[in-house]
Amino acid sequence: MRRYLPAGVLTGVALALAGLPLAHPPAFVESILYLVFFWIALATSWTILSGYSGYFSFGHGAFFGAGMYTTANLAGPLGVPFLWTVPAAGCAALLLGLSIGAVVFRVRRLRGELFALLSLAVTFVLATIVLNTRLDGGPGVYLSGVKLPKLYASPASTIYLLGLSVAFASLIAAWLMRRSKLGRGLFAISDDEDVAEVMGVPTFGYKLAAFGLSCFLAGAAGGVHAIFVFYVTVAETFSITVPLYVVLMGVLGGARHWIGPAIGAVFIIGVTYSFVGGDWALAGRAAVGLIFILAILFLPQGVMGLVATKCRRRRAPPEAAATTAPALPVVRTLLPPGPVLLSCEDVQLAFRGVRALAGVSLDVREGEILGLVGPNGSGKSTLTNVISGYYRPDAGRILFRGKDLAREPGHRIARLGVARTYQIPRPFARLSVGENVALSAMFGAAGLDREAAERRARECLDFVGLGDRADALPTALNLHQRKFLELARVLASGARLILLDEVLAGLAPSEIDNALDLVRRIRANGATIVFIEHNMRAVLALADRVVVLNYGQLIAAGLPHEVMRQPEVVAAYLGGAHA
Amino acid sequence: MTIEIGSRRGFVAMLLGGAMGLALTGAAIAQTSGQPVRVGGTLALTGPLAATGMVHKIVGEIYVEQLNKKKGLLGRPVEWVLLDDQSKPDLARTLYEKLVTVDKVDLLIGPYATGAILSAMAVAERQGKLLVHHTFGIPNLAKYDAQFPAWHMGPVPEKTVAGLLIDALAASEKPPKTIAIVTSKFPSVHFLAVGARDVAKAKGLTEVLYLEFEFGTKDFGPIAARVREANADFLYMGSIGLEGVQLLEALKKLGYSPRHHYYTYPAPGPMALSPDAAGALSTTVFEDQPPFTNNPGAAAFAKAYKERAEKAGLPYTLADVQGGASYAAWQILEAAVNATKSLDDKKLAAWIHANKVDTITGKLRFNEMGNYGDDLSKVKQVQNGKWVVVWPKEAAAPGAKLIAR
Repeated sequence: MRRYLPAGVLTGVALALAGLPLAHPPAFVESILYLVFFWIALATSWTILSGYSGYFSFGHGAFFGAGMYTTANLAGPLGVPFLWTVPAAGCAALLLGLSIGAVVFRVRRLRGELFALLSLAVTFVLATIVLNTRLDGGPGVYLSGVKLPKLYASPASTIYLLGLSVAFASLIAAWLMRRSKLGRGLFAISDDEDVAEVMGVPTFGYKLAAFGLSCFLAGAAGGVHAIFVFYVTVAETFSITVPLYVVLMGVLGGARHWIGPAIGAVFIIGVTYSFVGGDWALAGRAAVGLIFILAILFLPQGVMGLVATKCRRRRAPPEAAATTAPALPVVRTLLPPGPVLLSCEDVQLAFRGVRALAGVSLDVREGEILGLVGPNGSGKSTLTNVISGYYRPDAGRILFRGKDLAREPGHRIARLGVARTYQIPRPFARLSVGENVALSAMFGAAGLDREAAERRARECLDFVGLGDRADALPTALNLHQRKFLELARVLASGARLILLDEVLAGLAPSEIDNALDLVRRIRANGATIVFIEHNMRAVLALADRVVVLNYGQLIAAGLPHEVMRQPEVVAAYLGGAHA
Repeated sequence: MTIEIGSRRGFVAMLLGGAMGLALTGAAIAQTSGQPVRVGGTLALTGPLAATGMVHKIVGEIYVEQLNKKKGLLGRPVEWVLLDDQSKPDLARTLYEKLVTVDKVDLLIGPYATGAILSAMAVAERQGKLLVHHTFGIPNLAKYDAQFPAWHMGPVPEKTVAGLLIDALAASEKPPKTIAIVTSKFPSVHFLAVGARDVAKAKGLTEVLYLEFEFGTKDFGPIAARVREANADFLYMGSIGLEGVQLLEALKKLGYSPRHHYYTYPAPGPMALSPDAAGALSTTVFEDQPPFTNNPGAAAFAKAYKERAEKAGLPYTLADVQGGASYAAWQILEAAVNATKSLDDKKLAAWIHANKVDTITGKLRFNEMGNYGDDLSKVKQVQNGKWVVVWPKEAAAPGAKLIAR
């Protein structure tokens, strides 16, 4: 029940506020509360995309504006009843957002500041279109003739109630999303989109869903606001003030928390509108600016970021002295290598003319540990990236349990049962260790629901010896522990095939022994492992078979000790003169 | 926070400005008593419209001080409850609701700029309050019966303003035969330019160029090239703020100077002082020059305004159209209260509807569409770095006439 407490409290507050017009307060009270609701709705809808997924948008004014002009044109010149125009405003913004997202989210380089700039450009483009078409044309749209339905109390209360409804819907949507699989996926995207995709998060679909919902809510808020101001002009609607305020609210309150932007909105509106006295107006605005600067300086993660950090510190136990993996029972017995699980057939990939993979063909058998070795630049990591879906090969097939992975996106490959680690660990920096692992269990082949994934995460963290670090952030772990966190993630994913990319790099000899032991036990759980490594001692100790790449080509394959003695392999490692 | 003129603070302020007060009223003896009459309003004191908002603030302070040095309103001191709407129409709406429903002010006076005035107008309508406002620019949007404009540009300025202008040019030494119209898409500017097209046609001018640009445009190079290419006898620019000066600078780079050229709402200082703006035309309802200042009240106001504007560091310190209309708004309010001996909104509105009010901008009547009356616009021109009213003849500054290149 406790987990539903925030929604319960929010609903209670919303119901109480909904009853306010019955008490016939001064019109000013409804108006100022409406403005608070309006900004809560805008800031919260912004955070659903930008706070959760990290796609920082400066274009929220465009979607809000799309809603404003939808209502202005429908309710004004076209005479559509006002209440119908509000969902229509949301839908117009939704369509606009989806059509932009469907193009932009496919382009890998349009992240970070480029996305922010692009979103800002959308605002200018939309403003230009509105200004130069019959949607406005220049004189603005005046809505004085629009009849406002009297929901109860008074027509003015209708605006108040609609504002409250959109704010409430935004907050509930943000709350539900944060708890949902969608929310977890968006947080992962925010921290490392490429890893999220390879781990099974359908990044394109999730971003599009978040963008669509964000736009819909902003559009609906705009629809209500059109009637509130009732003289809609391009200069006011598409001014830079809207996105700036929205971003500021999100940052101040804490953009990664569902209630953060609302806290920011209440704070900023409260402070801004407290200084409306005529004789000290400039001093008041200067004070507001100073307060904002101080808040950002001392609360870089926002109010809710600070609260989350305090809670995490309170929960986290002191770091254990020993971080090696305890000897846990093996779940399954060792199986002899079975049929082919993965088959690469003439896989080719070139980067601007440089052939990284020049027709690689190899098989991975079920249950084996296959050592994949080769000198630097031989194509090992590229092959790993191709198998896991980060790169799409130019030619060839990659058959995994009968399905060709070559044209599948990364998240679908993960769902089919392929997982990987990274040479330099890439945990989701702002998710706890436990959340990192649970996320893998939710989105990987295991496809567990949230509760089951959290249980599975605890088991896996215990398995790798990080059980007591579940609440810590990855930044609190040392390199050895982060490597083990990577192992816990692939283990939790339930993958049939695990690609371990130089998992031993940077570890001390005693840590390497622990890691090797852990890899053996992961295989004993039923996984098949491709072990990409430079450490030949480890390869010889661990691998059932070895394949060697050089210049993107397979130059040897077979039992470890035999392969490592082959002249081509020695030459590849030591240079032609030693062959 | 409010400006409490009539309170102790206001009294101290009055003492400090005593000399000026003497000059303004000639009898600086406060004869007021009782509860103050509270006049509420907002202005854009911060935000993008603050520069002009400050003009209205200075005018209001001068007027309320003058009132309190006479007999206030109904013998009671006047308190101006002034709030900062931060140049936001939605906040203006909310603050007017506060003024009416929480502060319970007796009278309302308008905010600055079209969007905020429309917001205030809607509040006044819902609350049944009278609203007198300073410089509302789109008469056909003023639909509330108890709102009264102080800026008398007539009910159809899209016809009359351009008509006045073309008549003035027709009477000049070089009447234009062709016109180029270039306009910003700023609402209160755009509709005037659209109307000017029809007026020009009706008065026999040939339109050789019509261009629209977005409000906020900074690069006027391409527009200047089109203007030079069209080479019209008369350049009509629908502009606000610095747009006019920016176009003139772009034209200068092309080595082109328009013969006759007009700008709708130019920033007065930069346009007057621009070396490229000689002969620039605009319209006004008040300037700090005769014959406006032949009226002693207007002269006293213009003097007080100049002093305050200099003290406040305003870039242009002469009272002009904004200040004049702002002062007139207070005059309307005072006249109605004095005539009806009442603060009742309905009585006041009925009186204003039925009577003419004598203001520093002229006699105002409020019985046509949108409660507008005569178009009191005059044509002014930049001559020797100053704005000079040149048309109609009876309103022209002594010896001034429209100069044609």
